[in-house]
Amino acid sequence: MRAPETILLVVLAATALRAHPEIEAGLARLNAALATQPGNADLYLERGELYARHEEWIHAEANFLAAAELAPRHAGILRARGALALARRRPTEALPLLNEARDLDPADLSTRILRARALRQLDRIGEAGEEFDYVLRQSRTPSPDLILERAAMLTPPEALRVLEGALARTGPVPALELRALALEETLGRIDDALARLERLTAAAERKETWLRRRGDLLRRSGRESEARAAFAAALAALGSLPDWLRESPESATLAKELATLSHPQPSSPP
Amino acid sequence: MILRPTPLLALFLLSLSPVGAATSILRGPYLQSAAPDSIVIRWRTDATEASVVSYGTDREQLTSVAKTEGILTEHIVPLSGLKPATTYYYTVGAAPYAPPAAGKSGSSSRAAIHSFTTPPPAGTAKPTRIWVLGDPGTKSDVQRAVRDAYYNFTAKRATDLWLLLGDNAYPDGTDADYQKAIFEMYPATLRSSPVWPALGNHDARSANSETQSGVYYDIFTLPTRAQAGGVMSGTEAYYSFDYANIHFICLDSHDTDRKPDGAMMQWLKADLAATTRDWIIAFFHHPTYTKGTHDSDKDSDSSGRMNDMRAIFLPVLEQGGVDLILTGHSHVYERSPLINGHFGKSPTFDAVKHVVQKGDGRVGGDGAYRKKRGRVPNAGEISVVTGSAGQAGSRPPPLNHPVFYIALNEAGSSVIDVDGLRLDLTFINDKGEKRDWFSIIKE
Repeated sequence: MRAPETILLVVLAATALRAHPEIEAGLARLNAALATQPGNADLYLERGELYARHEEWIHAEANFLAAAELAPRHAGILRARGALALARRRPTEALPLLNEARDLDPADLSTRILRARALRQLDRIGEAGEEFDYVLRQSRTPSPDLILERAAMLTPPEALRVLEGALARTGPVPALELRALALEETLGRIDDALARLERLTAAAERKETWLRRRGDLLRRSGRESEARAAFAAALAALGSLPDWLRESPESATLAKELATLSHPQPSSPP
Repeated sequence: MILRPTPLLALFLLSLSPVGAATSILRGPYLQSAAPDSIVIRWRTDATEASVVSYGTDREQLTSVAKTEGILTEHIVPLSGLKPATTYYYTVGAAPYAPPAAGKSGSSSRAAIHSFTTPPPAGTAKPTRIWVLGDPGTKSDVQRAVRDAYYNFTAKRATDLWLLLGDNAYPDGTDADYQKAIFEMYPATLRSSPVWPALGNHDARSANSETQSGVYYDIFTLPTRAQAGGVMSGTEAYYSFDYANIHFICLDSHDTDRKPDGAMMQWLKADLAATTRDWIIAFFHHPTYTKGTHDSDKDSDSSGRMNDMRAIFLPVLEQGGVDLILTGHSHVYERSPLINGHFGKSPTFDAVKHVVQKGDGRVGGDGAYRKKRGRVPNAGEISVVTGSAGQAGSRPPPLNHPVFYIALNEAGSSVIDVDGLRLDLTFINDKGEKRDWFSIIKE
């Protein structure tokens, strides 16, 4: 039997939120369907998700609870309740729901990602990492954001190892390469970073920005003459562009900067 | 038990099932990830069979054959080694095409010969027609009317490519929704012109960008490794490609991290820095500005996605020299003059400060919008919300965002023609009327 407060909340939820015709249309459809199928947990789930998408947490929760009463062992409802708790920054509440959802449907990667985030928010970093690793292994094409999220939980050498593994699978995704470059510099592996930049430069249609990056890295590492050579190479790359690109204001500004950088700096060693 | 196909098993099954005898095509063929030297052809059959494409540049000589291993219902066959700017004829089936015997017509649908034309070499200017459909997938008479209005407009002029701006299949982006809203709605265009989609909120009900899974990601084959130009994104959620002298950028405004330091933003910056094309066209679902069936001034509308696209992504796009931004979500047509630098809500819009060139942008009217050729940051873009390919607003929307030169609550689609350094966009409503048009000329 459903608790009276849940019924009240569900009734409220069915009548609230009049913000947008699309939402109203969705609500109208779901309300009509629920009028004829009041025992359909999926409809409550759908209505809860509609509210959750618009950050109407109270109404979303009311519908998820109604759905859970009708189908307590429904992985989708448990996942939705866990996601809602996480969105409301309640990882302690989210984790048991997501654990149960995972037990019911271990292959659902969305649940596993949510569970990893709940664990991370609870500072159970090791378990969170295992969960992320599972998701990355199982994903057809792991999202660059997920890979970065995983790497951010690790020490620089470990993070670099994860990024290298991911790059071997995905190819040279800029966001991953840039993070790897930053880590290599942090770890003092300047030659590795330079080799990475060389690969990226070779593959790029426009090479000047990568060469500029190379010069910046060399200068930060105290390798002044090599830095000047890199800036000069960037300037040459810029010069090889077609007129209409070389003469753009952006290119002109960059050319001016590179011309300055490629000459000895006042404080730099000869 | 999972039955793993092997070549021997495939041969055995083929021997049981003569070509074209039992299966029929439920979906497609449709063209994906077109590049000057490659394309992916996909189709679905009602029963499992082999995946074979026969093709050639002579309709009577389909002597080249591409196939993928496996006995499947979902067929995905990449063709490589193609010549740029070349028309290819092709058939799909379980076995290489056998032309009908003399005196007999090859009327079986399985033997139907279709054609596509490969893009020209990247960077080469070529007159290009692009059909743009925002929020089309209502499966309604309105969607059909918008489609037919375009077909009448374009007549024999081929569509070189088409863009779907998200909410491609209502209400939930399920496989059944896509079947009716896309595959049964545009079969001829799907067979001959590559389609490039963006993810909308309704598509995302059955798809997940983080895990690259669900219907949208199952249906479309999009470039994760810059197969068609641009910088590789590593995901099908957002990507770029080149066609002739145009660089296209597709962003995921719904389901991918939109933070300034997120992977999509880092990729976008790298991609913009890398391109040498004359034109940059960006497309995504959530508009940067709208007062149509959504309101970009309301923080709660669409959970702030419109704010994010305007405040976080628009400055980078403008800095990168974008020329045209195409969005949907709001079921109206709204179009700006040449603008730059407006990242706040509508009360902060200042025409003196934010309009780079005013007027209607029409040759024969106030004159085309003019931009300098080259990568000029913040030289202005035209923002077009064209989200009414399936329906217009059901009740009159305000349509009073000050950034727009024109706003219409009418169903319709947009057509872009690029010819060298001139770009024209035309909005055609569901009655076939040309309701707005403008030109950008680079010099």
